[in-house]
Amino acid sequence: PSPALPRSRARSGGGERGHEGEAEDPNSEEEEETKQAMGSKTWRELAGDLKLFLWNREERTCMGRTATSWGLILLFYFVFYTCLAGMFAFCMYVMLLTLSPYTPTYRDRVSPPGVMIRPYLHGFTIAFNVSKRSTWQPYVDSMHRFLAAYDDKVQEEKNIECVAGRYFVQGGHEGEEKKACRFKRSLLQSCSGLGDPTFGYSRGQPCVLLKMNRIIGYRPGAGVPVSVDCKVQKGNESDLRSVDFYPGNGTFDLMYYPYYGKITHVNYTSPLVAMHFTDVKRNNLVPIQCSLKGEGIINDVNNDRFLGRILFTLSIGK
Amino acid sequence: IQLLEVTQHVETHKHIKSDDHKLSTEELEEKYGTSISKGLSSARAAEILARDGPNSLTPPKATPEIVKFLKQMVGGFSILLWIGAAFSWISFGIQFAQGAESPFDNLYLGVVLALVVILTGIFAYYQEAKSTNIMASFSKMIPQQALVIRDAEKKELPADQLVVGDIVEIKGGDRIPADIRLIFTQGCKVDNSSLTGESEPQSRSCDFTHENPLETRNIAFYSTTCVEGTATGIVINTGDRTIIGRIASLASGVGNGKTPIAIEIEHFVYLVAGVAISIGVLFFIISVSMRYKILDSIIFLIGIIVANVPEGLLATVTVSLSLTAKRMAKKNCLVKNLEAVETLGSTSIICSDKTGTLTQNRMTVAHLWFDDQIYSADTSEDQTTQPFDQSSQTWTALSKIVTLCNRAEFRPGQENLPVMKRVVVGDASETALLKFAEVVLGDVMDIRARNKKVAEIPFNSTNKFQLSIHETDDRNDKRFLLVMKGAPERILERCSTIMINGKEEPLDSEKAEAFQTAYMELGGMGERVLGFCHLYLPENEFPDTYPFDTDSMNFPTSNLCFVGLLSMIDPPRSTVPDAVSKCRSAGIKVIMVTGDHPITAKAIAKSVGIISATSETVEDMAKRLNVPVERVDRRQATAAVVNGMELKDMSLQQLDEVLCNHSEIVFARTSPQQKLIIVEGCQRQGAVVAVTGDGVNDSPALKKADIGIAMGIAGSDAAKNAADMVLLDDNFASIVTGVEEGRLIFDNLKKTIAYTLTKNIAELCPFLIYIIASIPMPIGTITILFIDLGTDIIPSVALAYEKAESDIMNRRPRNKSKDRLVNEQLAVYSYLHIGIMQSVGAFVTYFTVYAEQGFLPTTLLGVRVNWESNAINDFEDSYGQEWTKYQRTYLQWTGYTAFFVSITIQQVADLIIRKTRRNSIFQQGLFRNKVIWVGIFSQIGIALILTYGLGHVTALNFTPLRFQYWFVAVPFAILIWVYDEVRKLFIRRYPGSWWDKNMYY
Repeated sequence: PSPALPRSRARSGGGERGHEGEAEDPNSEEEEETKQAMGSKTWRELAGDLKLFLWNREERTCMGRTATSWGLILLFYFVFYTCLAGMFAFCMYVMLLTLSPYTPTYRDRVSPPGVMIRPYLHGFTIAFNVSKRSTWQPYVDSMHRFLAAYDDKVQEEKNIECVAGRYFVQGGHEGEEKKACRFKRSLLQSCSGLGDPTFGYSRGQPCVLLKMNRIIGYRPGAGVPVSVDCKVQKGNESDLRSVDFYPGNGTFDLMYYPYYGKITHVNYTSPLVAMHFTDVKRNNLVPIQCSLKGEGIINDVNNDRFLGRILFTLSIGK
Repeated sequence: IQLLEVTQHVETHKHIKSDDHKLSTEELEEKYGTSISKGLSSARAAEILARDGPNSLTPPKATPEIVKFLKQMVGGFSILLWIGAAFSWISFGIQFAQGAESPFDNLYLGVVLALVVILTGIFAYYQEAKSTNIMASFSKMIPQQALVIRDAEKKELPADQLVVGDIVEIKGGDRIPADIRLIFTQGCKVDNSSLTGESEPQSRSCDFTHENPLETRNIAFYSTTCVEGTATGIVINTGDRTIIGRIASLASGVGNGKTPIAIEIEHFVYLVAGVAISIGVLFFIISVSMRYKILDSIIFLIGIIVANVPEGLLATVTVSLSLTAKRMAKKNCLVKNLEAVETLGSTSIICSDKTGTLTQNRMTVAHLWFDDQIYSADTSEDQTTQPFDQSSQTWTALSKIVTLCNRAEFRPGQENLPVMKRVVVGDASETALLKFAEVVLGDVMDIRARNKKVAEIPFNSTNKFQLSIHETDDRNDKRFLLVMKGAPERILERCSTIMINGKEEPLDSEKAEAFQTAYMELGGMGERVLGFCHLYLPENEFPDTYPFDTDSMNFPTSNLCFVGLLSMIDPPRSTVPDAVSKCRSAGIKVIMVTGDHPITAKAIAKSVGIISATSETVEDMAKRLNVPVERVDRRQATAAVVNGMELKDMSLQQLDEVLCNHSEIVFARTSPQQKLIIVEGCQRQGAVVAVTGDGVNDSPALKKADIGIAMGIAGSDAAKNAADMVLLDDNFASIVTGVEEGRLIFDNLKKTIAYTLTKNIAELCPFLIYIIASIPMPIGTITILFIDLGTDIIPSVALAYEKAESDIMNRRPRNKSKDRLVNEQLAVYSYLHIGIMQSVGAFVTYFTVYAEQGFLPTTLLGVRVNWESNAINDFEDSYGQEWTKYQRTYLQWTGYTAFFVSITIQQVADLIIRKTRRNSIFQQGLFRNKVIWVGIFSQIGIALILTYGLGHVTALNFTPLRFQYWFVAVPFAILIWVYDEVRKLFIRRYPGSWWDKNMYY
């Protein structure tokens, strides 16, 4: 009965095309179309059109499709997307088959190694007041947590003693479990937290641990151990008067390399270098850059401030 | 009739208050402060020029350039991109204020987006300006000169320097430089066709003959041409105050709607913008509810918008259209407005002029009648011989009359031109006879020289005959030959004998009957018939010293010997019947609108096929059934010839009925004003109407029509200004080629859009999956822009060169409201079928790159927050290796590059499948469109340059990619091709099936 009825029928015919044959008088249809093309519709008509589009009682269509049509189209998409998903899964499966579970195919983006420090809480500023325990306790806790895996007992139990000064190359099948070398926290001496459980923070002489990122098969230094050096970055050199390095002279011993990946090298613990800042200017922000030094180490890439070096700030108050 | 119409038309709008035609010369001199002998003084003229302005029509108001430019900046998708840029800057501002680490990324992104908008805007503006320029150069013709008397001297001045009161001299061939009151004429005739469309020359004199300034003979109008004779007159109106100027300004008042392609593109922009905004907002809400920061969500929103908007598409469409426009210009259709290219393709009714468009615009001898028999002559454009039987003695006699009783002459110096191309001085019929004689007999001028003319009476409307007396070239025959031609019935009256097979026989009633039959038959074909007769004057009565006196007619003008009839017509162009039948099969209705006589109009309509051989008009049916016209069922007649007089009395409903019920319609004796009514009637039927026109008075109709087509040769400037297209060769057949090109471009634009839309999904999915699965970003916003504006541009233009899949002139014109450029099927198939496939293929490459570097797919899920953290520089991968932030970012860029490369590779497949919509690629031919291959190579070339050449420029986020990753998506590219071939196969196999309905776009 509404004037919009024949018009929307003409439209639904266009949308679904299945009902074109049923359209009654071609003339009236044409006339309606002309009107449609010529006049702009009122809101009420639009609302009517929309209602009819959502549910057309006469044609029994919802959004221009009948139940059968909807069924078919949904079935089609179900089959189509299932096949596509299958194809995707198959491709991924084939791709994963080509991968080794022990070694990634390429290591060109991860090498040379980056560097990180501990304690690490929020950022690369270590700021505390010696007199206020609450300001340095979080750092100390973080160090203890991190060093738990390096407890002498744990290391003795899980790992073996290796020959220092040369790479610990383990032959045999790729999938065989690899042995890991002991790195006892006692090696860190005054930064081990054993003698001084506050890692020097209570005295204003904080320890910072430095670790080199793990890279499978990477042999740092090409026979000569990689060492660590720290200096003030862009500032008064005298702000940092003395740093002690443990173990040795702040080197990563060759025996901890190469790394064989987390599946076979289960108990691997990254070697560490502890830096004991025994004399740093107090009440001042001291920007420090610690860099790795050694053959094949890159530490001067502008965009990457963590590649072979690390920047952090010490701020020690009274 | 025409002039009356103009008067009515003009007077209803602006009253013409002029009495210049009634004034005497002296009064005029006084009124305009001039002197007929001396003209104006230069100083006075300069004063008036300063007061009235130059004598030229003000061109239609042009939109200021800056407005045009700004329109390009905000039109189409630009708004969306501006919003994206604004968001980028806002988030930059917030991040900057918060002191975040790398806020400048967003600033740059905003700048890049703004640059994209500005550059595409400049490009579109440049394209438009270029196409406008074609037209501008076209309208700038050699400045017209006028011969003016000033300071008592004759001077050549540019016509735009003329002022009211100037005395100008005009001779045959000149264009009238202003509205002029004639004060001296000699055999002056003007062609008012630019004003009225009526090409019959009208004589002009100094006498005041009509109250109405438009009807009186002593005024010549600006822009009309003087055909012959000379005249001198006073300029009474200049520039926009001339009659033409008033009509031209009237035409600019007729509204001009949007072109169909503009509507389609708008529809498409709304559709894509709708998708972009709804997906953007949806995922904004999703990301906010997934506890992403508002700022991050806004950045996602920008990404989604950029991925969804086909930045390069509108520029591509413009380029495609202008390529077609160029192609059409080569085929003599000069398109002024780029969008008109497609409009022509959707045309469903063509209202065509007759003279010059359907016909050759020159009288040509079509039939001869002698020896009681009708012969047909060749009327084609390039005739060199005439094939009819020329052995009869009667023909010899007839040819002699045709040659001698003729005042037309060839302009000298054209001996090397083909006869049909030579310029002739003389009226249309005489020209036709002259050329006819030249073709059949050879050098007419020589024959005339050998048969010296001794006396002559030119044709006049009272006598209705032309007569001349000649010496003969036969030395033994001292008789004079009197030859005469004229209106057949008048000639016959003067004859007592008739020549049959070279012998004079008495003209009895039987022979007179035969004459009548032949005359009726030729007249019924809409031809202009002339009768020819001669008489050898007896030697004894008329010795060679006889003083012939044409005033007293001291020679016989009756009892002559009738020789034959010649009939002439302006014949159809030879290409037209073919073009009309093409229109018919293309579902385009051709309506002839002419000022000519209905019989002539109908005859031409029949001969070109506008009225097909089998169909009848109501009058024909009445004649066949032998019943009065009123009793015939009008619906049964397919053809109709409507007289302008009938049209005048018709109501709109009656006109609609005529247009609706008859498929073959001829409007005869119509004025250009009625053309507007006819156009409006056709538009009421929902048709896309193309109209041809040449006169100034046609301009309202040209403007009103969906596509106005002006004649390049015969058309007036006003018509060309009002039209959307100019036919350089005035040929109807060129319109049909234009229609073909227009339809092709519509199809090809569909392909271009389908191609372009497809990859939007492959660009969008990364964002959606990034948000939902928190994987590292698969593709960057900048990278997307490099696809949209880099690799994809040339291929999408290349699709414009695709040949038609089937005979596009065998289907009906598209229905404006149903056959959309971008329909549901196209969008769905591009987005949800091919687009999804592309996304899957690209994701396979993405996961492969990450997995081979150490991040297995399972590790990647949910990794986003840590992955993007600047503080985490020992991020562990699936193998236990540790990565710094920058190493991860670099890997992420490698992922971008891999994703980009996969999309490019799959777009090659997409490009190939889009070559056809229904046919197999192998039917269409892989190598027929060479430009596609240019596209493919450019696509791959640009990708190679970006990856390996610019791989080290960090700002672009490309990295050199291992070569094998180029091939990861190849299986998916092949899948796309195979899938589409299967789709097309089913469409061809099962037309009308569910598959066809849902899959054919």
